[in-house]
Amino acid sequence: MEKPSRILIIDDEEIVLDSCLAVLEGRNYEIATAPDGTEGLKTAQKFAPDLVLVDLMMPGISGFEVLEGLRGIDPTIVTIVVTGYSTVESAVEAMKRGAFDFLPKPFTPDELRLIVQRGLERRRLVLETITLRREKEMLQQNFAAIISHELRSPLSAVQQNLFVLMAELDTQLSESQKGRFERLKVRIADLLKMIQSWLRAVSAPEGKIGGDFAPVSVQAVIARAVESVQTHATRKDITITDSAPGSLPAVLGDETILTEALVNLIGNAVKYTHAGGKVAVSAAVEAGQVVVSVADTGIGISAEDVPSVFDAFYRGKVGPDAEAGCGLGLALTRRIIEAHHGTISVESEIGKGTTFTVRLPVSAAESISPPGEAPAAPSTLDPGDPR
Amino acid sequence: MSDRKQLLMIDDDPDFVDGIKSILTAAQYDVDVAHNPKDGFAALQKKKYDLLLLDIMMGRGAEGVMIARKMSRDPKLREIPVLIMTGIREQIAFLFGSQALHPHFVEVDELMEKPVEPRLLLERIEALLKAASVKASEKK
Repeated sequence: MEKPSRILIIDDEEIVLDSCLAVLEGRNYEIATAPDGTEGLKTAQKFAPDLVLVDLMMPGISGFEVLEGLRGIDPTIVTIVVTGYSTVESAVEAMKRGAFDFLPKPFTPDELRLIVQRGLERRRLVLETITLRREKEMLQQNFAAIISHELRSPLSAVQQNLFVLMAELDTQLSESQKGRFERLKVRIADLLKMIQSWLRAVSAPEGKIGGDFAPVSVQAVIARAVESVQTHATRKDITITDSAPGSLPAVLGDETILTEALVNLIGNAVKYTHAGGKVAVSAAVEAGQVVVSVADTGIGISAEDVPSVFDAFYRGKVGPDAEAGCGLGLALTRRIIEAHHGTISVESEIGKGTTFTVRLPVSAAESISPPGEAPAAPSTLDPGDPR
Repeated sequence: MSDRKQLLMIDDDPDFVDGIKSILTAAQYDVDVAHNPKDGFAALQKKKYDLLLLDIMMGRGAEGVMIARKMSRDPKLREIPVLIMTGIREQIAFLFGSQALHPHFVEVDELMEKPVEPRLLLERIEALLKAASVKASEKK
C-alpha cells in the first residue's frame, strides 16, 4: 500500500474538526488537528503534512499568517483555506498568496473529499516536478560522464574486437578483406572522435576552462596545430604555411585546449578548400593582443551564413566535394577562445576563401615556460608561399 | 603449475573483455575476469595475481578508482601492478568536477585508452611484469 497522505486540519471549531475527521476517515490518510494557528504551525513542523486545511477566521494568529508560516516550513505543502461565505474575498486573497483552493462553509462531505483529493493530487504533481527537476540537474551535471560512458563504451568494445580479430586473422585475410577491416576501424575511430568533440562542446562551458592557465607560446600552439592537420592537407594536396614570427609575446591559457581550437580552424580551412589550394596561418601583435589568422583559398561562406558559423550544430551549405562536419568545431573553438578572454571573427567571400581571426590578450606575466619540443623559430612548411 | 602469469581483468563490458582476453590468452597469460568491482576485489583477495587490468567507469561511477585506492592501502595488493584501461581520456578528466576520478588521483602504473592496440597492450603488460619482478627481487 502507498504511504498514507498526511493531512493537517487547523480550525478553532471543534465540530468542524470532528466532522472533517469523520468525512476523511477510512481512506489512506493520516490526519492531525490543531485548534489555532500557533498550534497548527507547531504541529506542521513535526507532522510534515502534505496538505493543510486552514480556517481563515480564528482567534490568535490569522489564517494568512498561518499560510505564511507553512510556506516557511515547506513551500511545497498544499494549503486549502476554509472560510465562511462572508469572507469569500479573503479566500481569494489567500489564494493570491499561494493557497491552492478554498472551501466555503458550510460544505458537504463530498465537497471536502473532492477538494482534499484534488489538493493531494496537486501535491503529488509538485513533488514529482521537483524530483524530475532534480534529476534533470543531476543529468546536466553528469552529462559528460554519462555520454562519455554510454556512447563510447559500446563503440570501444566493437573497435577492440576489430583490432583483435584483425590481429588473429592476419594470415588468413585477403588484401580486400584487410582493407575493409581498416575502413571499419577508421569509421569507428571517427565516430569516437566525433563523440569526443561533441562532448567537449556541450560540457566545457567557460567556467570549466581556466583553472590552471599558464603563459603559453602562441608559436608552439600554431606549430602543433599545423602538424596535426598536415597529413590531411598533404593527402588533399593543400599547402599550409605557418608564418608566425618567433618573437610573439605569450598568452595566458591552456596549451592543449588552445591547440585544439587552432586545429579546428586549420582543419576546417583544409576541409573547405579544394585540392591544390592554400591555407596560410600567420600571427602578429596588435594593441596588446596576439592576433592569429587562418586564411584559406577555399569555397568561402555566404554572407547569410556568416553570422551563424559559430553556432553549435550549424552547418553552412557545402560544395559538392566538401566533407561534412558535425557542426561543432567552430562552436567549440569560439568557446575556447572566449574562455581565454579572446575574440574570434570571420571574413569570407564565396569562391575566394575565408579568413578566421583570433585575438588573444597578451599575458601580463612575460616570462614563459619553455614550450616543449616546439620550434623556437617560425616553422615555414612551404617556403614557396610568401603570405 | 606452470609459471604462466596470472592476470585479473575487472571490467563491466563483456564484449570488451572478450576481445582483451583473446589477446592475452593467445599470448600465454592466464586471465580471470570479474565483471564488477565487488567480485573483482574478492578475486584479488582470494588469489595471487601478477597484474590487474582495471576499468574505471563501472556501476554507479568511477568505481575502478575505488578499487585502485583500496589496493594502495593494502600492503599485499599494493605490490600488484595496475594497468588502467578506460574510455575516459585523461584530457577530459577535468569535466568530472565533482568526482575525484582523475587517474592521477590514484597511483596506477599505466593508463591506456580504450580501445587498445593488441601489440601495444602486450608490450605494456610485459614491461609492467618485468618492472614488478625487478622490484620484487630487489626487496629480497
